[in-house]
Amino acid sequence: MAPTYRDGDLLLVIRGLSPRVGRAAVVRLPPDAAGRPRPLSVKRVTRRSADEPRRWWVDSDNAAEGVSSAHVGTLTSDDVVAVVVARVRRG
Amino acid sequence: MLSLFRITDVSAHCDLPCGVYDPAQARIEAESIKAIIAKVADNPDPDFRMRATIIKEQRSELVKHHLWVLWTDYFKAPHFEKYPQLHTLFNEATKLAGAAGTKGEFDAGRADELLGKIDEIARVFAETKAA
Repeated sequence: MAPTYRDGDLLLVIRGLSPRVGRAAVVRLPPDAAGRPRPLSVKRVTRRSADEPRRWWVDSDNAAEGVSSAHVGTLTSDDVVAVVVARVRRG
Repeated sequence: MLSLFRITDVSAHCDLPCGVYDPAQARIEAESIKAIIAKVADNPDPDFRMRATIIKEQRSELVKHHLWVLWTDYFKAPHFEKYPQLHTLFNEATKLAGAAGTKGEFDAGRADELLGKIDEIARVFAETKAA
């Protein structure tokens, strides 16, 4: 999520809020192609799925490196576990 | 009150595949093949033709490589469900870049067919990006 966030940043997030387009969020990503689990991640919710209202497209601010919905498809509202409110401390 | 707050580690990105994909890469190599075929048609020099042959084979391999990366890394199961023609498209396109296609032959028609297949893949790619 560079340049927005970097290693060691402390973020204040609220669990259970519904995803907001444009906001960064803590999301659960599906396992990778080899079946290995991906860690809990910070992504930006960039749009609602055109087909299903409770699914969300997520992007990385660091498009060159980050995993996004282009790789993993849209996420359900349940997989968007928290919405980022603020950065409390720079890493 | 403190128990309301909990610090959890989260990652910002987690995969090495860089996430940058574009069928334009394959298209540029295929354009190069087409141009090589045209240049050879106008040039009887045997050394030039030999160099052209080698470069054309390399470019054809690059087309296959770039298409394979899209096929295996970019496109995911939901894409193949939505676009059932994708597997066949990739198979035909990579064959057109192979020994029976632009790698082995000096046939401008084959190069055009290859460009056509890459364009079809690019259209699907653009739709998945817009989705």
